[in-house]
Amino acid sequence: MKLALFTERFYDLVAPDIPNEWDVEEVLDPLIDESDLVCEAILGHIPVIWPVSHSLCYDFLRLLPKTLQHLSLEQIPHWIGITLDCYETDGLRAAQRFMQDDIENYLKKLKGSGGLPLASIERKLLPYIRGVARNELQLKQGKTCYTDTTSIFVPEELRFSTNNDVNFLLYKLILTFQWGFMACKSFINRAPSGFSHIECDEDTLWIRAYLASFEEPLLARDIFHCLESFRVRIFLTQELPGLMRAAEKHIFPQLLLKSQKHPLNSLQQALIKDEAELFTLLTSNLTDRECEKYISGEASSCDSAEITAKLFRTLFQKDVEYLPIITLPFQGTLKLQAIETAKKIQEQKMGEQFADMMASYLLTLSKKELGELHEQDKRDSGNQGLAESDISMIMDSEFSGNTEQEKDAPILVSINNEQLEMPVELEEFTKSFLDEFGHLPAHFLSSAAGKAGQAMLEQEVSGPADNSTQPKSTLSYDEWDYRRQGYRKSWCSLHFKDLPPIRTQFIQNTLAKYHGLTIRLRHQFEMMRSQERFVKRQREGDDIDFDALVESISDSRAGISSSDRLFIRLKRDERDIAVVFLVDMSNSTAGWVNNALKESLVLMAEAMAVLGDRYAIYGFSGMRRSRCELFHVKHLAEPYGEQVKERISSIVPSEYTRMGPPIRHATELLKDIDAKVRIIITLTDGKPEDYDDYKGKYAIEDTRHALLEAKTADIHPFCITIDHKAREYMKHMYGPANYIFIDNVRKLPQRIPEIYRVLTS
Amino acid sequence: MSRKIIETRLEEHLITEKPYYLASGKEIEIALSAHKNGLPLLLKGPTGCGKTRFMQFLAWKLGRPLITVSCHDDLSTSDLVGRFLIRSGEAVWADGPLTLAVRSGAICYLDEIVEARKDTTVVIHPLADDRRELPVEKLGELLSAPPEFMISVSYNPGYQSVLKDLKPSTRQRFVAISFDYPNPEMEAEIVCKEAGVDKKLADSLVKLAGMTRSLKESGLAEGASTRLLIQTGQLIQDGIDVHTACRAALIEPLSDDPELLAALQEMVSSVF
Ligand SMILES: Nc1ncnc2c1ncn2[C@@H]1O[C@H](COP(=O)(O)OP(=O)(O)OP(=O)(O)O)[C@@H](O)[C@H]1O
Ligand SMILES: [Mg+2]
Repeated sequence: MKLALFTERFYDLVAPDIPNEWDVEEVLDPLIDESDLVCEAILGHIPVIWPVSHSLCYDFLRLLPKTLQHLSLEQIPHWIGITLDCYETDGLRAAQRFMQDDIENYLKKLKGSGGLPLASIERKLLPYIRGVARNELQLKQGKTCYTDTTSIFVPEELRFSTNNDVNFLLYKLILTFQWGFMACKSFINRAPSGFSHIECDEDTLWIRAYLASFEEPLLARDIFHCLESFRVRIFLTQELPGLMRAAEKHIFPQLLLKSQKHPLNSLQQALIKDEAELFTLLTSNLTDRECEKYISGEASSCDSAEITAKLFRTLFQKDVEYLPIITLPFQGTLKLQAIETAKKIQEQKMGEQFADMMASYLLTLSKKELGELHEQDKRDSGNQGLAESDISMIMDSEFSGNTEQEKDAPILVSINNEQLEMPVELEEFTKSFLDEFGHLPAHFLSSAAGKAGQAMLEQEVSGPADNSTQPKSTLSYDEWDYRRQGYRKSWCSLHFKDLPPIRTQFIQNTLAKYHGLTIRLRHQFEMMRSQERFVKRQREGDDIDFDALVESISDSRAGISSSDRLFIRLKRDERDIAVVFLVDMSNSTAGWVNNALKESLVLMAEAMAVLGDRYAIYGFSGMRRSRCELFHVKHLAEPYGEQVKERISSIVPSEYTRMGPPIRHATELLKDIDAKVRIIITLTDGKPEDYDDYKGKYAIEDTRHALLEAKTADIHPFCITIDHKAREYMKHMYGPANYIFIDNVRKLPQRIPEIYRVLTS
Repeated sequence: MSRKIIETRLEEHLITEKPYYLASGKEIEIALSAHKNGLPLLLKGPTGCGKTRFMQFLAWKLGRPLITVSCHDDLSTSDLVGRFLIRSGEAVWADGPLTLAVRSGAICYLDEIVEARKDTTVVIHPLADDRRELPVEKLGELLSAPPEFMISVSYNPGYQSVLKDLKPSTRQRFVAISFDYPNPEMEAEIVCKEAGVDKKLADSLVKLAGMTRSLKESGLAEGASTRLLIQTGQLIQDGIDVHTACRAALIEPLSDDPELLAALQEMVSSVF
């Protein structure tokens, strides 16, 4: 391809950007000798990379001559995909390094010349372990295998066997085994009875303190780990016999070869022997009774703690330096400190949640119980409200959850010396908290009191916003304050803004990129429209409705007036649907996300054109309550034309995500629309959040409330999100089954129309 | 003018043998009390968790016939209330299931009510509030439901299609009982009993079901139901090997997503 033509095509693809000609020619010039086919293919990648990062795009082109020596044309799209992933997670430098240096590694991985990469099976393993563990465990890459009880860390790649099926089995075994430690309660949190002599503060796992109390903690740790592994092994043999049989067949024999010269060797080898040999191996270390206890699965982690002390006495050699044993791959390492850290984070999270719940509860009391005190307080000291110390709270601390009775006993809280029973939800939560952490740190209680006090203060200070000076293109909306269980009146101003229509190649590129998909979607949507069915009992139609005819004759015989609706007609189901799409334009969508959102809108619009459903598209963003912004892309009645296309192209990431006002506005819009079904679909990449205090629980609760308002108006809200951490709060905000999570941004354009299809048929 | 009425044999609807039902909460007490007070019942819950079986048990317990209508798109008011038919040149009236139930003080169970069109479901409104009456327009009658009569509807709130949600005006007439899968011990007992498999196999099947039910966030909207477990048990009982039976009766019905299917398969191979 001639350089001039090549350059011109390049400019078309990146418009409206006008990059420096010199830069462009420099990177394209070395490529002009490639065949037209190659050049076309290269150009095809530009719209993928350019919007994400211009420099990355230049680098891609600059390195292409070298890349093409290694990769075939077909391999390039996948390679670009990885590069962009790299860019999105680790930034430009990392992506450049990947493109420059990692082609060989990439190829190796692709060919599987090494072992089995985690990435290739993660999507299968993650649901597996979550199912087995019955909770939302995370899977993470780590140099060694271990668990901190919220995540399981495994190596990036396994080269245990040349057979990747065996490698997969080992991955599976590792994960299951690490979960086994949790299921067997190996990580003893609090001192078991009889062990109270070990000093251990609240933040330390008791077992860590215990192991540290030995003269050689590493030896104690290894013994304990070994014993616990043994317990897990027995537990898994009972619980998941299929897995253990496979492991005995394909994995254990290979491990047997790796016998070590180590005092714990025979104990460790017992882990991978079958039952007959087990006993002999164990009895060299344990008494017969102990052996039986372990083998029957009745031993507990306390037994292991006890036996650790016993074995330690026989195995410990004072003057010899102890070298830790090399653990078996599925055993991993015992990282008790990591567990403590994870627990701490978890506790903090749940504690804050508790404080929030408690604060809302306190506010419901405010008028009666707290009010008087509040008044008096003001009089006494001229204080402006309740400070932290003004509400004194004591929780019934007798609870330890050990006996059934205690579990059922109500938890009482004394507020300003008056005993109150907590609402069920709060009580349940408190119990599960105590169950998990054993105690409720006092600072969460005082923080709850503080939050409540703060909210009461704001309640007094904040009047309605002054809206006399607002221009016409602005509306004001209330905002829900969960702390006061009421609205802040006219709290937010929503400004209507226009997106400048820009002429770009975006639409064309998107349509070209998704040519096949567009056709498929159109077809699918066509099917939805033409959902034909026979409707009976029509005044006129294509055929006689015999049921109706007979009924009518019978009716007239019976002497009552008969119906003249005697025909069957083939009818297309009328889709009487009105939808508002709200598109998150917050700055966190910059780059790939924004691009994918726009692409999705284009595909959606193309497909909707066949369907005839009424729809509107608005973008939203803004900063602070005084400047929430709604960007017009398409009104409900507006046809999908050039103008709309141009506006879709010009959707750009802007500021923050205050979700309440746009949702309330969409509700207002749809309220007046006469349609059988009315839907608000929000496309977002994360939590509601604004620059001011619109964050966390406050933001979530306001959004939730805005959605409830929509539901009350018989409008169905639905959310499509790509936030990885979205899970916990999405359900709370939208209600189960009213949101969907898409974990791969690249699938967005394909998934959104699909979801819409499911949602409305 | 004479109007003949076709007699329907009610005995067919009477449940004479005690159905096997294992209660997991206070649902029986609640339902009996609802019946006593003439209140309609709404059963919510995932598919295959025992709603239909519960109704059979309740009907047996109350000694009333159970008339079940599976709702669908095409269900018309006439289908519920009744219509005239012609018999040897004469018009005769045939009661629909709802009318029949009202007349005879039976229990009328509308299964999967959301599947019926909304203009059809409105006929139950006057029956479901304290009027407890059914207008049969064509006969010019207004039937008053006797105290024994009860109306009960079921629906599965897990659906995503917004077209299939229950209107608040309909929903708020009912006493609602929420069903979920029974706890593991009870579920194993049910599987044992219904599929005739041994305890150990039942336990493993239930364990497997538990795993599939915790995959909501990984893209599996509904995990394996009790019904699926029973069916799997039945296949195994018939001599089909465990892995094949699980694949056919437990895994494949749950999803089409290849990665999820693979993960589910791994669970099976771990458990058995
Ligand atoms: N508590 C229970 N006691 C006895 N059997 C049960 C129980 N729960 C479920 N079953 C068994 O599960 C099977 C499925 O239950 P059932 O048909 O009642 O489900 P359902 O809730 O009506 O499902 P659907 O919503 O799909 O109609 C029953 O045939 C029965 O064998
Ligand atoms: Mg049923």
